[in-house]
Amino acid sequence: MLTLTKDRALALVLLLIVAVMWIESGNIRPATSWQPYGSALFPRILLVVTGLLSLLVLFRSLLAGAPARTLARRSFGEWLAHNRKVFSLFALFGLYAALLPMVGYIIATLAFLVTSLGLLLGIDSRRKWIINLAVSFTLVPLVFVIFRYGLNVWLP
Amino acid sequence: MADFFLQALGLVSSPAVLALIVIGVLFGIIGGSIPGFTVTMAILVVFPFTFAMDPVSGVSLMVGVFVGGYSGGIVSGVMLGIPGTPSSITTVYDGYPMAQNGEPGRALGIGVAASFIGTLISVAVLVFFGPLIASFSMNFRPWEITALIVFALTLVAGLSSGALLKGLLAAVLGLLITTVGYDRNSNLRFDFGVPALGSGFEILPVMIGIFAFSQLMGNLEKLRDEQGKIKGVDTSVTIPYRRILKDMAGQKLNTLRSSLIGSLVGALPGTGGTVANFISYDQAKKFSKHPETFGKGTPSGIVASEASNSAVAGGAFVPTLALGIPGDLPMAIMMGVLILHGITPGPLMFEQNPVLVGAIYASLLIGAVVMVLCQLLLVRWFAKISLIPQEVLVPVVLMLCAIGSYALNNNLFDIWVLFVFGVIGYLLWKAGVPLTPLILGVVLGNNLERQLFRALELDDSWMTFLTRPLSALFLALALASVIFSLYQDRKIQQNQLRAKNLPEQ
Repeated sequence: MLTLTKDRALALVLLLIVAVMWIESGNIRPATSWQPYGSALFPRILLVVTGLLSLLVLFRSLLAGAPARTLARRSFGEWLAHNRKVFSLFALFGLYAALLPMVGYIIATLAFLVTSLGLLLGIDSRRKWIINLAVSFTLVPLVFVIFRYGLNVWLP
Repeated sequence: MADFFLQALGLVSSPAVLALIVIGVLFGIIGGSIPGFTVTMAILVVFPFTFAMDPVSGVSLMVGVFVGGYSGGIVSGVMLGIPGTPSSITTVYDGYPMAQNGEPGRALGIGVAASFIGTLISVAVLVFFGPLIASFSMNFRPWEITALIVFALTLVAGLSSGALLKGLLAAVLGLLITTVGYDRNSNLRFDFGVPALGSGFEILPVMIGIFAFSQLMGNLEKLRDEQGKIKGVDTSVTIPYRRILKDMAGQKLNTLRSSLIGSLVGALPGTGGTVANFISYDQAKKFSKHPETFGKGTPSGIVASEASNSAVAGGAFVPTLALGIPGDLPMAIMMGVLILHGITPGPLMFEQNPVLVGAIYASLLIGAVVMVLCQLLLVRWFAKISLIPQEVLVPVVLMLCAIGSYALNNNLFDIWVLFVFGVIGYLLWKAGVPLTPLILGVVLGNNLERQLFRALELDDSWMTFLTRPLSALFLALALASVIFSLYQDRKIQQNQLRAKNLPEQ
């Protein structure tokens, strides 16, 4: 059975994207007498090149075979646990982006900084809490003042 | 030119702009000295603060970060034995052993002096070659510019450490990103029914997302795998000025050679400080009467490394300003700053914005002086700051990236763009796709499409790209760079295979 290596996954995902974008390029206004090349030509050239390069990556990866495993295979749960911090940070950032328009810059940013610093630094000692709160409560107003009064940028 | 330079010097010497240069240099040194933070990240974080500034102030601040950043790597390199930026890897080879031998102040002092001279020499290269290349490239028509962009992208993709196919793929993906939204004929492309996509993606959130997320998450993963390796460090440093002057007096040729290598390598697309660093270190060792002392704490090694990586600053400005083609990531961002302020880098910039070009020269010079003063006076503090843990830095930088992306247009959609491209950049990085060609593709995409179709509108034959000598030359060079990279890739693979089979024989 074929193993799904990084290169194969990359090539397959890109081929899928190329297919979707090629279909979508059909909705672009066609060429006219005063726009003889049309607006779809350039992206279609790029889509063809992307497709060809993705196929090359796929074929090369199939020819090379799956690399030998240097580490024991992890279960999905173990893999998630191993990358817990990275995935959690992505999730926290997504949540931050969603919260910003709802609760505003100060509350959303404070919440993001306190939770993400807690996630990365840990919350098992008083010292870590002091660092966490000192960084969060100093930076949030400082950035607000710089942008609002120094650069005339209204934060949400 | 002298008039414009004096006028620019007057502008840059105003207290407000001087203060911005000092802030930029300080932030650059801090950014460069924190392992894993890099000059590029420092530039990305400062970029949003330039939105509300006039072009001279914005560019001066960024140049300050640039100059400081390239010299900042020496602090962590010498004190911790960890390069603050990839462009100071070889500084560690001799800086750290010298510090371990009880002379951290001497190592830092030599590095700072070499950085200073390297920056000055690179400014001279920029002042001399920038206008020359710009005036030559005034003859470029759309065919030549198209071919030059293709050449720059293939060169950058080919230099992506043994991953030519993925490098090319990244460059094309970068170009593809720029096709979203309304095009030059006001036709809508790839909006997928989402109105916000109609205006396309802003370069800044895309660049920050792709680069910053992968870099920061990569730092976290590295931290997880190397937990507890960084120990406390003695930050009490005294600079022995006389000794350093004596050391530098014996390094004239090495300093000049390394600075010229740095300037030249900086001017080539896709290379940057890391390549300059290794080439000049290697050359210094080859030319040395005592090559056996390299790696054991010799001043020659530190000078070669620091003079070359700092000289990249001026050299890298040459193609960016003269041709409108950034050679590396920091320059791509710098080009973004100029575009944001309504200035299009390229040959016309020397004619249309000579004062701004002069301001870049002046900021580089003033930045170099400020860098020396800051490094020598505040080195203890920089050594302490370089110990800031990544666990604190990562959330803070992510927050600044989000606010910076929002501040560009006061648009929350840009934060989502940042996030989505952050995820894409991280996944591509995990798949071994080099991100520099991707970002260059994003920066150059619109210009490539504009020039390509301008050429075809002037002459509908595609063959014209091959019949015009310069255009044909650039395309031939693009092809040659791909063939050379394929050859290099194959050689690397053969060496790896040989190394793998060796123990079994």
